[in-house]
Amino acid sequence: MPGMWWVVGLVAAVVLVSVYLTWTAARVDRLHARVGSAARALDAHLLRRAAAAAVLAEDRYSVELYAAARIALDAEGDEREAAENDLTRQLRRTPLDPDHPAAEAVIAASRRLALARQVHTDLVRDALSLRRRPLVRLLRMARKHEAPRYFDIDDPTLNTRPGLSVG
Amino acid sequence: MRIGIVCPYSLDVPGGVQNHVMDLAEALIGLGHEVSVLAPADDDAELPPYVVPAGRSVPLPYNGSVARITFGPVSTARVRRWLARGRFDVLHVHEPLALSLSLLAVLSARGPVVATFHTAMTRSRALAVAQGVLQLVLERITARIAVSALARKVQVEHLGGGAVEIPNGVAVAKFADAEPLPGWPGPCGPGRGGTLGFLGRFTEPRKGFAVLRDAFVALAPHRPGLRLLVAGPGDLADVHEGVPPELREQITFLGRVTEEEKARMLRSVDVYVAPNTGGESFGMILTEAMAAGATVVASDLDAFRRVLDGGRAGELFPTGDAVALRHTLDALLDDPARRAALSARAREVVEAFDWPTIARRVLEVYATAIEATDGRVLDEEWIGPT
Repeated sequence: MPGMWWVVGLVAAVVLVSVYLTWTAARVDRLHARVGSAARALDAHLLRRAAAAAVLAEDRYSVELYAAARIALDAEGDEREAAENDLTRQLRRTPLDPDHPAAEAVIAASRRLALARQVHTDLVRDALSLRRRPLVRLLRMARKHEAPRYFDIDDPTLNTRPGLSVG
Repeated sequence: MRIGIVCPYSLDVPGGVQNHVMDLAEALIGLGHEVSVLAPADDDAELPPYVVPAGRSVPLPYNGSVARITFGPVSTARVRRWLARGRFDVLHVHEPLALSLSLLAVLSARGPVVATFHTAMTRSRALAVAQGVLQLVLERITARIAVSALARKVQVEHLGGGAVEIPNGVAVAKFADAEPLPGWPGPCGPGRGGTLGFLGRFTEPRKGFAVLRDAFVALAPHRPGLRLLVAGPGDLADVHEGVPPELREQITFLGRVTEEEKARMLRSVDVYVAPNTGGESFGMILTEAMAAGATVVASDLDAFRRVLDGGRAGELFPTGDAVALRHTLDALLDDPARRAALSARAREVVEAFDWPTIARRVLEVYATAIEATDGRVLDEEWIGPT
């Protein structure tokens, strides 16, 4: 019976398509969840760096560094990227001796921040490229999630010893 | 924390990636973490206690060398079982884009995945897979590590996305404390004597042995007592090819050496020469020679220049130029103060490559990957005592 094969083929096709769609939707959800986690981690590391910088500023009686750290801690929304870049610039201007505990804390926090920034940027890029896929747009699979935003700051790495740079 | 590491190449065969994986695993264990390494190996092979064998591997020509890999349904089942039993906090795969256990592990994993890219391979060469499949693999990798600037450049330009550059580590103490071979390096004075060293596959053109051989043949008649110590897989006839018979006895050939013999060999030379003409993504052998206290002379390749601190921790010569190499060697063998200054700087530089230092950097990447997966932020204490 040729008609029956037709039905079998159609059912198989429908199953395949729906499996693919479910899987893609799960992929969209997973990526957005990761972007969310990465953004929270990035936020935490920004705060940590600013706090470490404030401690260092008190130690060094550096008014400018303390102000930059305070502004970075308080900045919100669109001002935050500029404030963080200012703090990076202030830290680059500050001589940092890795053997000093307060300086070492700032260097370590900057290193972790550089990693968090990079992972966040990669995840945002992956999520945005998935959102641009025609099928994802057509079926509005990403409608539950806000479009992720890049957090565009300069590489915060300090004290680059040979071979240990980040970017 | 519980760390699962996947090595794509068989541990039965020595190789850079395999050594990297074992050294990293041991350094992490030394810092107090639980580590399990999954690697292709026969079930009855003698392995360190932290290695889980994933079965026999098959040879496959890859990136100019022959790699032994494991791939297929049986391997997939083993990978999944290992992942399920291990309950790892983080999965760390090496060379995930080649058809290998690493790729299988990435596709089977759910949690945070860190990947290390060793070779500076370009996409066209390494990936015979469609862009969609590639994206799928990359999407599952949370954080990427490149062992060299070149490998990282490929990441950024061909694969999209950044990578942290963390170089290969070197077990500094193992090299610094090794006993030189009896009777080496021998006398070295103005105009005479001196020992040169070379280690590697000297039959492979990109290792540049021919450049060193030409320089040696030109220099030896003017420097009585000059000796060349060569180690690596191959035949004596290949070492001697193109060397006049009267100079042949000034060349000592050790053949293939173990890790321990390698350290002793590097302690036995005045000057270690890395005449590579390209293809070297990271100067691993340079850091080992530097740890052993040898003065290094290397081709002016990007990777080598970076390891040698722009020429302050070792002499650079124009890549492939045997005449320039000859003059560099002659001048250096005549100048013990210069050699001492270069090795002193080399010892400082190589500290940044010591395995415990490198392992702590890798742990920071693990922490970042975990944070980006489940959102919990890990603090310094978690990485271990510094």
